[in-house]
Amino acid sequence: MDEVISVRVESLTKSFNRGSEKIEVLEELTLNVVSGEFLALMGPSGSGKTTLLNIIAGLDIPSSGSVTVGKNIISSMSETKLASWRTRHVGFVFQFYHLLPVLTAYENVELPLLLLPMTKAQRKIQVMNVLDLVGLTSRIKHLPGQLSGGQQQRVGIARAIVTDPDLIVADEPTGDLDSKSADEILELMTILQKTLGKTIIMVTHDPRAASKAQRILHLEKGKLVKDSRNFSYVSGNVAN
Amino acid sequence: MDLYSTLAVSLISVVLLTILLALVGKVPINYSIRNLIVRWPISLMTALAFTMVIGVLIVMLAFVNGMYKLTESSGHPENVIILSDGATDEIFSNLGYRDVSEVEFNPGVVRDASGKPLASWETYVIVNQPIPIHVRKGERKRRFVQVRGILDPEISGKVHHIALKSGSWFSTGDTGGGVREVMLTEAEKEPRKINATEAVLGQGIAKEIGPDYNKPILEVGDVFNMGDKYWVVAGIMDSGGSTFDSEIWAKWKTVAERFGKETYTTLVISTTNQQTASATAIDLVKNFKKAALQAIVETEYYDKLNNTNKQFLIAILFVAAVVAIGGVFGIMNTMFAAISQRSKDIGVLRIIGFAPWQILVSFFLEAIILSFFGGILGCIVGSFADGFTASSIMSSGAGGGKNILLRLTVDMKLIFSGILFAVAMGMVGGLLPAFSAMRIKPLDSLR
Amino acid sequence: MNKFEKYVLDILDDPVSLGAVVVGMIIILGMVIFASSYWFYFRLMFLNLRRNIIRTALTSVASIVLVFVVTLVWTILWFLNLVTSEKAKDFKAIVTERWQIPSQMPYAYEASLAEGSPANEGDYKIDKNKDAMTWQFYGATIDPEKKTRDNIIFFFCMEPMKMTKMMDGMEEYSATQIADLEKLCDEMVKDKRKIIVGKERLEAINKKIGERIKLTSLNFKGIDLEVEIIGSFPEGRYNQSAILNRDYLNDSMDAYNRQNPNSRHPMTNKSLNLVWIRVPDKEVFQKVENQITSSASFTTPAVKVETASSGISTFLDAYRDLLWGLRFILAPFILATMALIIAVAISISVRERRKEIAVMKVLGFTPAQVLFLVLGEAIMIGAFSGLFSSFGTTMFINNVVGGIKFPIAFFPVFLIPLDAIWWGPAIGIGTALAGSFLPSLSACRVKVSEVFARIS
Repeated sequence: MDEVISVRVESLTKSFNRGSEKIEVLEELTLNVVSGEFLALMGPSGSGKTTLLNIIAGLDIPSSGSVTVGKNIISSMSETKLASWRTRHVGFVFQFYHLLPVLTAYENVELPLLLLPMTKAQRKIQVMNVLDLVGLTSRIKHLPGQLSGGQQQRVGIARAIVTDPDLIVADEPTGDLDSKSADEILELMTILQKTLGKTIIMVTHDPRAASKAQRILHLEKGKLVKDSRNFSYVSGNVAN
Repeated sequence: MDLYSTLAVSLISVVLLTILLALVGKVPINYSIRNLIVRWPISLMTALAFTMVIGVLIVMLAFVNGMYKLTESSGHPENVIILSDGATDEIFSNLGYRDVSEVEFNPGVVRDASGKPLASWETYVIVNQPIPIHVRKGERKRRFVQVRGILDPEISGKVHHIALKSGSWFSTGDTGGGVREVMLTEAEKEPRKINATEAVLGQGIAKEIGPDYNKPILEVGDVFNMGDKYWVVAGIMDSGGSTFDSEIWAKWKTVAERFGKETYTTLVISTTNQQTASATAIDLVKNFKKAALQAIVETEYYDKLNNTNKQFLIAILFVAAVVAIGGVFGIMNTMFAAISQRSKDIGVLRIIGFAPWQILVSFFLEAIILSFFGGILGCIVGSFADGFTASSIMSSGAGGGKNILLRLTVDMKLIFSGILFAVAMGMVGGLLPAFSAMRIKPLDSLR
Repeated sequence: MNKFEKYVLDILDDPVSLGAVVVGMIIILGMVIFASSYWFYFRLMFLNLRRNIIRTALTSVASIVLVFVVTLVWTILWFLNLVTSEKAKDFKAIVTERWQIPSQMPYAYEASLAEGSPANEGDYKIDKNKDAMTWQFYGATIDPEKKTRDNIIFFFCMEPMKMTKMMDGMEEYSATQIADLEKLCDEMVKDKRKIIVGKERLEAINKKIGERIKLTSLNFKGIDLEVEIIGSFPEGRYNQSAILNRDYLNDSMDAYNRQNPNSRHPMTNKSLNLVWIRVPDKEVFQKVENQITSSASFTTPAVKVETASSGISTFLDAYRDLLWGLRFILAPFILATMALIIAVAISISVRERRKEIAVMKVLGFTPAQVLFLVLGEAIMIGAFSGLFSSFGTTMFINNVVGGIKFPIAFFPVFLIPLDAIWWGPAIGIGTALAGSFLPSLSACRVKVSEVFARIS
């Protein structure tokens, strides 16, 4: 099978100035992520994993180095371009779901589609599809406040995949959930990767979550310290 | 383009602009509306602040509007009003009959069926009338009554387009004309027969004097005292909406003798149309040699009297502008708070791919929606003023002036202005917070 | 006596003002005592207001501009109320034609009217050199070809020396301004052709002090005068006025009538417009009124005597609905707007601080203390913005703008009374209380359990 590189990170450096002190968050980091790969980023807090994730997702700008996602060199794109690129190519899953509290589950999922040239009917098909995938078709009219944490996160995932992006980034997607809900969410992520072929990059410090990934990267003080295959990863389709 | 269409076009443009912004902004308008509903107490109070500002603006403008309407319906474009040269007001005018009698034979003057020229000879006086103790309020012990001595009431009625609502015109015969024998019943006195002068009253003044005699309004046959003389109501003029509503008309000779003004103050002539009127006016000023006159087309004359309105209008606009600052800052507070409360929402929208300007548009629209509803409510509140009568004064600003009764008028012009003004306040107040929303960094807000 | 001394004396004279000052002092004293024993609360309120500078500033500025408008409106109402309330002592009576306006009486009435028309033994005689003044109105243009509003001057013709002694509003001027005016009056007495013209009128006719002008009369046809402008009034209500020595007008009338013995001037018996007389009390007023109205000398036309306040009331009647609107619609609506804006600001801050309020309750603050804190914040904004606004408005309008230029009847401009400085904080505190009542109630009803339940 040809390995298509989905994300290419080359000698990426990110530093902040805190007062007179210069803090290196990421140092000369190089990394390739193959298309369709499920990657877990692990490391202690302050290791730079979230920063790396944000840069890959086009939310943060590197101090030096380049980041290529698909065919786009996103490290050199303008903010406006990045915004529309994100809509089509990246889906986000957050630890605290970040749904808009006044919008229903359906409307939350529909939100990214509003930025694309689609008719209302087309949007509806797509939204219902992904809500069906995450198993929430019965809750479309509920507001986030009326859903459980696990359900909210499923809406979050539905919103992340509704534009059919190649890349899904998730920052501690199970960090705020009880273990049963967390398992359901991880199950869902696995489905996304295996059946829909999404590339997933997930930041976590939960080893159980990481165990679902194909490949695990360990970061410490802005450097890649370990890049390992996950041997407990089961290839092929998820057994139902 | 007149004011009305300008306002309509502006309002339509604002609505279109809003719709356009909503379309290109892409953030669902429901998002804004539901957020307004979620924090309804604050939204409601902000909208009500707008309601107050717009409400009071509408009431004030209704007053001025009423004054303009009044002057519009008092003057007729085919009439020419003639005063003596230099008189800044009718009250200061002196026209000797012998000096100006030839004016009515000017070829421009229309004649009625019997061949009489439509020229209204008038002497205008303002009479000081004591107010009986039981209707006095505060320190005011007298009122000014505007009395017009009229040579031929039928002709004057035609010239001014005034018909009688009830009763008849006063009679004008040389001997005994304009006087009627009536029974006078006064408190604590035996009823007795007296001779009273016939007078025709505008409805406004009839209502004003009525309470003196414990009546809501004077009616035909009622007797009242003015200038130490008894007058009997011969008729009531159908004068609503004109300055004549506040006037008493009576036989010229009686008025002239009673109030010591033996010359005419005013001559109004009717011509066929506006062109003839202005041509006649120019002709009289230039070519009339016997006396120095000022001759003005009646509509222009009343337009000059609008000076007071203009003063009021300027004062109102000043007050509105200052009060608007209050409204603007109120909505700024609300919007800044809304934004700081929803910085996470903004972060998510940005991460999903909404551009900063789309965030700006969304919050800008929220401010517009809020102000729009406050404004509509204000227009509704202000509309209650419609139809009330109010007294005012109308003058050219050079002394004199007329006391008038006007009808507060709220029309679409005012409603449009009110809504536009509200939306403008919303836009001004919403823009700065919307800019601050646009500058929110998505990552910072979600941290 | 300077303005301030005069103001203090005015307050001491008037029981209502004196009461207001005493109550104000007690409130301030109370606040100081309270502040010193509960300093902590004040500090907390102040810190909370400082926390969101933008909101505090927006609310303050909104309050400041609204108090500004209310101060202007109330000034007009206050002044008109003042001039129309009957005074008991040392007031003016106005003698005018009985049945119509404009009042036009023969100048021959002057001699007797100015003395109050004493006819019999025991009648009250007014000192006409001190307590009487005549008014004759002479309107003229400086450009007879083009009579526009900008080249017309409207003169009050009087005895120059009566100006500072009898005219209204002289108390608004300082002692030096009065002295300067009196010097000008002296000159006018010496040379009857000299005139004083208000600043704005001078500007309108585009003439300067020292210039000589030719007047073509509008109401005294043919009585055209030549005058020299020697000065102006101090900034204020006489900016549009002009004063002419009455002798000049009357002498010119006499000369005209001597030259045209067969056609006397039509204004001959109509040249006296008003006579003002000052009476010490109501009793004398009644007496003088009787003397004048029962006199057979004043029949064609008949005359009437009324107090200045009653006369002004009659003129103001045309404005009654307008003034009613100012008092009962404009001012209340603006106050309501202000209360709403304060309410919005306080509601927002209570909403944002629910957690803090819950913590305070955990620490042992009672609901009443929380209520007090929130109300206190609102009152602080209201009181300070109000004081700042009314003080600033008074100074700015009186000293820079030269009064509120909203002509009503014959009052072209209104000066804000010093009392207005109290209005601001009063309005501020009142609207702040009204506006923060509900939000502060909701603040003291914050339930600790609910707030913490939501957080965890």
